[in-house]
Amino acid sequence: MDIIAAYGTAFVILAIIFGLYMTWGIGANDLANAMGTSVGAGAVTIKQAICIAIIFEFAGAVLAGGHVTGTIRKGIIDPTSIVNSPEILVYGMLASLLAAAFWLMIASWKGWPVSTTHSIIGALIGFAIVGIGPDAVKWNKVASVVGSWVVSPVVGGTISFLLVMSTRKLIFDTENPLKNAKRYAPWYVFLVGFVISLVTMFKGLKHLKVELSVPQSFGVAVLIGFITAGISWYFIRRIEADQEADRDFHFASVEKVFAPMMLFTACAMAFAHGSNDVANGIGPLAAVVSIVSSGGEVMQESELPIWILLLGGFGIVLGLITLGYRVMLTVGRKITELTPSRGFCAELAAATTVVIASRTGLPVSTTHILVGSVLGVGLARGIGALDLRVVFNIIVSWLVTLPAGAIMAMLFFFTLKGIFS
Amino acid sequence: MDIKSTTPLSGLFRTSPFKPVQEHMRLTFSCICLLPPLLDALYRKDYPQLAEFAEEIIKLESAADDIKQDFRVHLPNTLLLPVDREDLLNLISDQDGLADLTEEIAKILVYRDMVVPDPLKDLLDELLEGTMEISVAAKDMIERLDELLQVGFRGREQEKVSVMIAGVRRSEHNIDHIMFRIRRRLFESEKDLNPVDTMFWYQLISLVGAISDQAENVADRLLLFLSK
Repeated sequence: MDIIAAYGTAFVILAIIFGLYMTWGIGANDLANAMGTSVGAGAVTIKQAICIAIIFEFAGAVLAGGHVTGTIRKGIIDPTSIVNSPEILVYGMLASLLAAAFWLMIASWKGWPVSTTHSIIGALIGFAIVGIGPDAVKWNKVASVVGSWVVSPVVGGTISFLLVMSTRKLIFDTENPLKNAKRYAPWYVFLVGFVISLVTMFKGLKHLKVELSVPQSFGVAVLIGFITAGISWYFIRRIEADQEADRDFHFASVEKVFAPMMLFTACAMAFAHGSNDVANGIGPLAAVVSIVSSGGEVMQESELPIWILLLGGFGIVLGLITLGYRVMLTVGRKITELTPSRGFCAELAAATTVVIASRTGLPVSTTHILVGSVLGVGLARGIGALDLRVVFNIIVSWLVTLPAGAIMAMLFFFTLKGIFS
Repeated sequence: MDIKSTTPLSGLFRTSPFKPVQEHMRLTFSCICLLPPLLDALYRKDYPQLAEFAEEIIKLESAADDIKQDFRVHLPNTLLLPVDREDLLNLISDQDGLADLTEEIAKILVYRDMVVPDPLKDLLDELLEGTMEISVAAKDMIERLDELLQVGFRGREQEKVSVMIAGVRRSEHNIDHIMFRIRRRLFESEKDLNPVDTMFWYQLISLVGAISDQAENVADRLLLFLSK
C-alpha cells in the first residue's frame, strides 16, 4: 500500500506516457492499415481519410470502446491473490503496455504483420504468469478471446460473401445495373448506419448515462440509418452513365455509384477500430488509474473515466497524422484490385463484425477480420487473385506475437519491480 | 524511424490474372490482323513489303510469348482464383497457339517466294475473311472476362459469353466447309502447278485453317470457367 501512496502520481504519469505511446503506434499502423482499403479503392483521398478517422475513431472509442477496455483491464487477469500488494498489478500493467508497444515498434520497423491485440493479450498473460502465478490468468476468458480470433475473420468472410452475392442479385446481374445501383445504394448505406448504431446502442451506452430501451434503440438506429442513406442519396443521385468508360468495362458507371458509398464504410471502419483497438492501449492505463485513485483497490469496481477513452482516441489520431498517412498511402497503392463495390462489401462486413465483437467485449484484430472479409469476396469469385500465403503468415504471427509479448512483459515487469520496490 | 505497413492486406492482393490473359490476347489478335496485309503483299508479289509484315508478326509473337512466360512464373499455386489455375494456364497456352500459327505462316512466306495460283484466290479470300471473323469473336470473348469476374461467372454475363462461344463454334464449322472447297480446288489445279508449290499450298491452307480450330479451343477453355 505504501508504494502506491508514495509513487501513485508517478505511476499514473508513466501509464499515460506508455498508453499514449501504444495508442500512437496503433494509429500509425493499425488504423492506417484499416483506412488504407478505402484509399486504395479510390473512394477517399488521404486528407478525407484522416478527417474521417479523427471523427469516427473518437466516436468509436467513446461510445463503444468501454467493453473491450473492461476486458483488457480486468477480464484477463484475476488479481484476488495480490489484494495486499496492488503495486504488482500496476507494474504488470505498465510492463504489458511497454512490451506491446515495443513489440509493435519492432514489427513496424521490420514490416511484420502482427496485431496490436495479440501483443497486449500476450503481454498480459506473460506478466500474470510470472508476476502473480499461472492461476491468476483467467484461462477460460483467454480461450474465448483466442477463439474469437479464429471465428471473427470467418464471420467477416461470411457476411462479405453474402453481401457480394446480394449486390450481384440486386444490381450487377440485372437488365439495367446502373438504375438498380442507384435504387439500392441508399439501402446498403442505410444498413451501414443502422447496423453499426444498433449494435453500439443496444444496452451499450450505460457509461454515458444513456439508457435506451430496446424499441428506443431500434428507433434511433433506424433514424441514423435513414440519415446516412439520405446523405448517400445526395452523393449518388447525379451519377450518370459514362458511355466512354462503359465501352471498356461494362460496369464502370455502376462502380462509380459504389465509390461514394465507401465513404460510409470508411467511417464505419474508423468507428469499429476505435471501439475495439483503442482498448489495447488504454485498458492497462485504466487499470493503473483505477488502482491508484482508489488507493490500492485491485478489484477495480469503479467506472471507466471518459477522459481515458478520449486520451486513447487522441493518441491514435496523433499516430495517424504523424506517421500513419504514409502507411495509408503504401497500403492504398498495393490494393488497387479492390474496386469500390467489392471494397464496400468487405468493409461493411469487417466493420459490422468488429463492432459486434466490441459490444461483446472481445478484443479482436481489425486487420485480420478485414482479411477474412476480403477472402469472402474472393470465395464469391469476385477478385482476380488472392494470395493464401497471407493466411499462413497470420497464423505464424500469432504464434510469434503471443510469446514475444509475454517474454517482453516479463522482462519489463522485473525491471519496474526492481526500480520501485 | 522507418515505419512499414504491418498489414497482411498488401500481401493478400495479387494482380488479377485476367489482365495478362487479355493483354496476351490483344497481342495475338494484332498478329492475326497482319495476315490480310501479308497475303495482300503476296498477291501483289511485293516481297520486300511482305517481309516487313512478317517481321512485325514475329515481333508481336515474341512479345506475346514473353507475357505467357511471365504469367506462368507469377501464378503460384497458393492463389485463391475465381477459376481453376490449370484452366487459366491452358487458356493462355491455347491463345499462344494462335500467335504461333500466324508466325509459322509468315515464316513460310518469307523463306519461300510463293505465287498465288489464280483459281485459289477467291476461296483464299473467303478463308481469310472467316479466319478474321472467328479471331475477332475469340478476342471479344476474352475481353468479357472483366464483366464475368464482376458477376462471379454467372447469370446474364454467363449467358452472353455462352452465346459468343456458340458463335465461335459455328464460325469454325463454316470454315471447315471453306477448307474442304479450297483443298478440292487445289487438287483440281494440281496438274497446272509445280508439285513443290502445291505441297506448300496444302500446308499453308492447313495452317490458316488451324487458326480457327485453335480459336475454338480457346472458346472451349473459356466454357470451363463458366461451368465451374
